[in-house]
Amino acid sequence: MLAVLDPYFQFALKAMARESTYRFEVFTSIASLALRVYLLRVVWVALYARNAAPHGVPLHTIITYSAVALLMGLILDIDQTSLLHDKLHDGSIVVDFMKPISVPFYLFADGTGEVLFHAALIVPSLALALLIVHIDVPSATVLGAFALSFFLGYFVGFFLNFILNCVAFWTLEISAVQLIMTWVTDLLGGQIVPLLFFPAVVQNAIFALPFAAMFSTPLLIYIGEIPPERYPEVMGLQVAWILALGLIATVIWRAGARRVVVQGG
Amino acid sequence: MPEGFAAPGNRSLMPIIQTRALRKTFRSVVRGEGLAGAVGALFSRHYEEKVAVENVNISIDEGEVVGYIGPNGAGKSTTIKMLTGILVPTSGTIEVAGIVPHEKRRQNARNIGVVFGQRSQLYWDLPLRESFELLRAIYRVPRAQYRENLDHFVEILDLDRFMSTPVRQLSLGERMRGDFAAALLHNPKIVYLDEPTIGLDVVAKEAIRAFIADINKRLGTTVILTTHDLADVERLCRRIILIDEGTVIYDGKLERLRDEYGTHRTLIVHLKDPQPDFDLPGVEIEHAEPPTVNLKFDRRTTTAEALIRRVTERYAITDVAIVEPEIEDIVRRIYLEGYQKPPARASEL
Repeated sequence: MLAVLDPYFQFALKAMARESTYRFEVFTSIASLALRVYLLRVVWVALYARNAAPHGVPLHTIITYSAVALLMGLILDIDQTSLLHDKLHDGSIVVDFMKPISVPFYLFADGTGEVLFHAALIVPSLALALLIVHIDVPSATVLGAFALSFFLGYFVGFFLNFILNCVAFWTLEISAVQLIMTWVTDLLGGQIVPLLFFPAVVQNAIFALPFAAMFSTPLLIYIGEIPPERYPEVMGLQVAWILALGLIATVIWRAGARRVVVQGG
Repeated sequence: MPEGFAAPGNRSLMPIIQTRALRKTFRSVVRGEGLAGAVGALFSRHYEEKVAVENVNISIDEGEVVGYIGPNGAGKSTTIKMLTGILVPTSGTIEVAGIVPHEKRRQNARNIGVVFGQRSQLYWDLPLRESFELLRAIYRVPRAQYRENLDHFVEILDLDRFMSTPVRQLSLGERMRGDFAAALLHNPKIVYLDEPTIGLDVVAKEAIRAFIADINKRLGTTVILTTHDLADVERLCRRIILIDEGTVIYDGKLERLRDEYGTHRTLIVHLKDPQPDFDLPGVEIEHAEPPTVNLKFDRRTTTAEALIRRVTERYAITDVAIVEPEIEDIVRRIYLEGYQKPPARASEL
């Protein structure tokens, strides 16, 4: 069993090693995170100075929300499967298909390695963020639920990215779709503005989307807007999204793999 | 088995690669010309069926080194992709080491090694050594075998100097040597080499050729080599398969191809005195640069001896030389004329 998993474990390790070769990017990503934490603090302070707290969410909670959301972004903003798009674009996917491996699992392992490397940046980033803002810490139970929900959200994000990159099987180019996806995730995922602040009429629809399952669900658990009695319901929805997106990803991958036709003959 | 009794090896009577009536067609979008055509293609699609490979029947025995050659777009890569299992044939059958490649892609992958001259399987950002480690895990190569193979490859491919260099910093020649080691770490039964010497300098080309010859001889690895460099073929392959427009037009020994198609030889005559009006009725003058004249003759109708005699009857000469046709010229001729040839003739060879 372990021997079967060994190649994928190695893929993850190599992805971490690869990411670490771009040291400059590491520093810029930490610096840019600190800057965004600072800017969001400025914006929320200014907004709260002139308006009543929306939905009764106090200023310190919303600042906590923003800082945690940005830290989560260190992981969730990564397109772990961009390798697929690159490989389809330059045709090097053939080389992977000529190996005794499952290519989707390879992509998953590689993406996870990449993510784990960036996850290690959370510690210094958090330290830096704490110099700028105060972050509330909830109870251990809530933290545990947050961690689990965050973990589920990671898989939702993985499948969304995977499906998006699979589009390159047909189009080879996906940058426009990717850009739209980034905007939609930013807006409807609740990373920048809590979805609670959206008009009530659209809220139900937005909460039901997979984007909310990435950022909003774990964040609302963290700040206590989702009480423990609703955990099964919200995490159940996350799991449902993982299953649904996983199914779509499988179908689209199979169709794509069938039409791997690389340039030249 | 007692010493002295050589094992017959794993050689089976079944060929290691066998294809029957292999055919592959692609559907491509037909688009009109210019911007209007490009925009039009977005909305209404007309498809065109393009035949890449047609009725290819190949049978290759274990331990053979076969040159698979043909002009660009002849169907070489398409065949190789079907043999590796990444393309599914439109019709016909394939068996590689007892496996139908596209049905059991991963199982087939364990039996094969692949080298693309224009594409690397090494990890771009990581030192060469790390790519080898990764491949060890992928193919589950036992540690001892891995050590042994790697030591051997390091020695004969001279990898030592750049084992710790990130692949992106390697020269083409270094990278290719790395790619060869990578493709062979798991002792594949068959290796597919697609233009392995493209862009390499003479020294690097020779190193690669020697390496291919070595693994074939030492391990009995079956080698399928596609290349445009016929020097590779002459150096390594006893058998060649020529493909053009998707169809096999020649399958047999290299020498036989030379015999069959290379019927014209050239006699170079150095005349004692320049003879600007040199003429020999019925003999074609290929090139004349007094005092040297190149005479083209068909060895099936004329012997060199008879031709020399005819020249010396009329002119005084100082030296003669006979030039055999270059394989390069023969293949070029087949590319140009092969299409008109009755296909039966090639298959009868």
